[in-house]
Amino acid sequence: MKRIATVLALTVTVSALVFATGEQEAATPDEFRAMWWGSQNRHERTIATLDLYSELHPELTITHEFAGWTDYWTKLTTMAAGRNLPDVIQQDYAYLTEWQSRDLIQPLDPYIEAGLLDFSNVAEASLEGGRIDGQLYGVNLGINAQAMVLDAAMFEAAGIPLPDDSWTWGEFEQIVLQLHEELGIFGFGTGLLNEQIWKSLYLGAGVTPFNAQGTALGYDNDQILIEHLEMVMRLQEAGAIPHISREASDYAHGDTLETQPIVFGDAAILSTWSNQLTALWTAAGGPDERDFVMITLPRLDNRAPTHYVKPAMFFSISRDATNPVEAARFIDFVTNDLAANQILMAERGVPIAAQVRDTLSPQLERPQQVVFDYMTRVAEDSAPIPPPDPAGYTDLIQNVYEPVIRDGVRFGVHTPAEAVAIFREQTAQILGAAN
Amino acid sequence: MPASTDQRRRNTIAGYLFISPWLVGFLGLTLVPIVGIIYLSFTSYDIFTAPQWSGWGNFVRMFTGDARYWRSVGATLYFATVSVPLKLAFALLVAMILNTRHRGIDLYRAVYYTPSILGTSVAVAVMWRELFGFDGLVNALLQRIGITSEIAWLGDPRTAIWTLILLVVWQFGSPMLIFLAGLKQIPEELYESAHIDGAGGLRKFLWITLPLLSPVIFFNLVMQIIFGLTVFTQPFIITEGGPLDTTNFYALYLYRRAFETFQMGYGAAMAVILLLVVALFTGLVFKTSSLWVFYETKEGR
Repeated sequence: MKRIATVLALTVTVSALVFATGEQEAATPDEFRAMWWGSQNRHERTIATLDLYSELHPELTITHEFAGWTDYWTKLTTMAAGRNLPDVIQQDYAYLTEWQSRDLIQPLDPYIEAGLLDFSNVAEASLEGGRIDGQLYGVNLGINAQAMVLDAAMFEAAGIPLPDDSWTWGEFEQIVLQLHEELGIFGFGTGLLNEQIWKSLYLGAGVTPFNAQGTALGYDNDQILIEHLEMVMRLQEAGAIPHISREASDYAHGDTLETQPIVFGDAAILSTWSNQLTALWTAAGGPDERDFVMITLPRLDNRAPTHYVKPAMFFSISRDATNPVEAARFIDFVTNDLAANQILMAERGVPIAAQVRDTLSPQLERPQQVVFDYMTRVAEDSAPIPPPDPAGYTDLIQNVYEPVIRDGVRFGVHTPAEAVAIFREQTAQILGAAN
Repeated sequence: MPASTDQRRRNTIAGYLFISPWLVGFLGLTLVPIVGIIYLSFTSYDIFTAPQWSGWGNFVRMFTGDARYWRSVGATLYFATVSVPLKLAFALLVAMILNTRHRGIDLYRAVYYTPSILGTSVAVAVMWRELFGFDGLVNALLQRIGITSEIAWLGDPRTAIWTLILLVVWQFGSPMLIFLAGLKQIPEELYESAHIDGAGGLRKFLWITLPLLSPVIFFNLVMQIIFGLTVFTQPFIITEGGPLDTTNFYALYLYRRAFETFQMGYGAAMAVILLLVVALFTGLVFKTSSLWVFYETKEGR
């Protein structure tokens, strides 16, 4: 009996100790976690920024995780299921609404009212994309747009004048063929059937890719996509772009910047997001070795813009944040602090705070300068931002668009007309079930 | 007698205690997840929100409305049917060579086992990408001997699956080791007397080696069929399921549905079918084993 009493007493003491330490930990908020996706360049810059922040706040313990785009979302959803999301998470325009609707991210307005987040130097238009029903759920980390990167030296070597923002897909085809004939390289690299390009074609025609309810395609005219597919097939047959088998085996369909043909000087043009130029240029040898120019995506014959200005990505505070106050302070630091932005160097996109832009502008390295110029140009001349992609979008792209449109046509399994018909039918099926 | 019942019960408890580490693992890491997956397979579940009951919906969609599903089934069966016999034959061949008495044979045994250790690792998968890339070593070697190859091995629907088959056949180490152990069990005097009777090498192989090795072949066959039907790492990293879904093997497609397009219920339904199919194949092999597996001890009785 006496022994049992001793054991009981010990147990109580030990558990009291455990609970006490637990409470103590919660009481001193000295730790937060951040997570993002990106390339090597972004990882290095972001880690350096975190290091700077830790130096300024030695009482804080900051842990971080990072991954490539696909792995990032896999990890993050797994964490969401385990109710273990990091405090600060990087978010994308495509997913913000979905995550908000599931209460996985917090509204940031209370932190603005508390003075932790300061947007006095930020234009409302730059915050707009992060608002849902009037509440702010993500802080825009930079503005971004689809673009074409051109190797100016190769154009000169081929004797082709550099096109400007007003170029059309018809001119694009001629230029790619000419580059191939003159230099024996690929005129264009990979990703000509990237789903972003499909969507941009229809933005150029003045319609949105999906209808307002998100249950089907938002346009009736399949001919635009069919003609684009036919052009891609002509270029593939001429050898002016890599054959789809090489695009799959060597270039990962354009998913990895570091292995793209333009990096090795095997191609003269690549389509990409404007904020990837720095990483691309670094991988290709830097401004001393390569001379890159950035212009918009080609246009349809109506010459209306096919690109739109998009919040590149957001920082959001997750539902599971153990330390939302410190997380908000950190987001403010990234938005407004000059030293932080001199490390980040607009790698995620052109910064939203005016004083940051003004300070950075003269000290920018050439790649960032090109991006700043480009974003200034397209901000004045772009299609309106389409609504976020509907639920079921990833399923649609992975299980229909890529196998049928991208691979099916280019491997010769479907004709462009067949593929487009299958795509239309299955889009209605998948989105109809999901929305 | 009460004493003996008591004794027996104590023994039973002791027995369970001894296997408790395994038992905990089996219940916690195998049985509970399996039951969970069976439940999830009847739901629509996107990981974020609670699963919603959808009855047979996932299975109906899988069997009747998903062309990629059947392509993945076809690719997996093709892969298993070709790679398993090739791998076993190759493993047996190497085991027989290594079963001879030569100087330094132990070193060779270790060397030939290394691909198996490295095989499922990401590093080897990355190496394979480099070997078979358009500007890779294979095309460079072909160039050397005067063949200009225009084939992107990993991106061509005709060749991609074969690069993976080659990789898993190259990972013959573990079946080889088991074969080697089996070969060492075969009594030397059988070969000697066969030799005296004038039997040649092929005859000895067919009438002594194969029958006496059949229990080991049986074991290897079961293990390799399971491996072949669930292969994941290699297609995930090397070909990413492409081109044209020719290497979009079952486990990979399942993973993508579950973790990339967040259709966990659908993925769970695929997993349940995989479990049943693996059980079916294994059962078939077991059922037919009495026809071709020879147990020496049993015959001797």
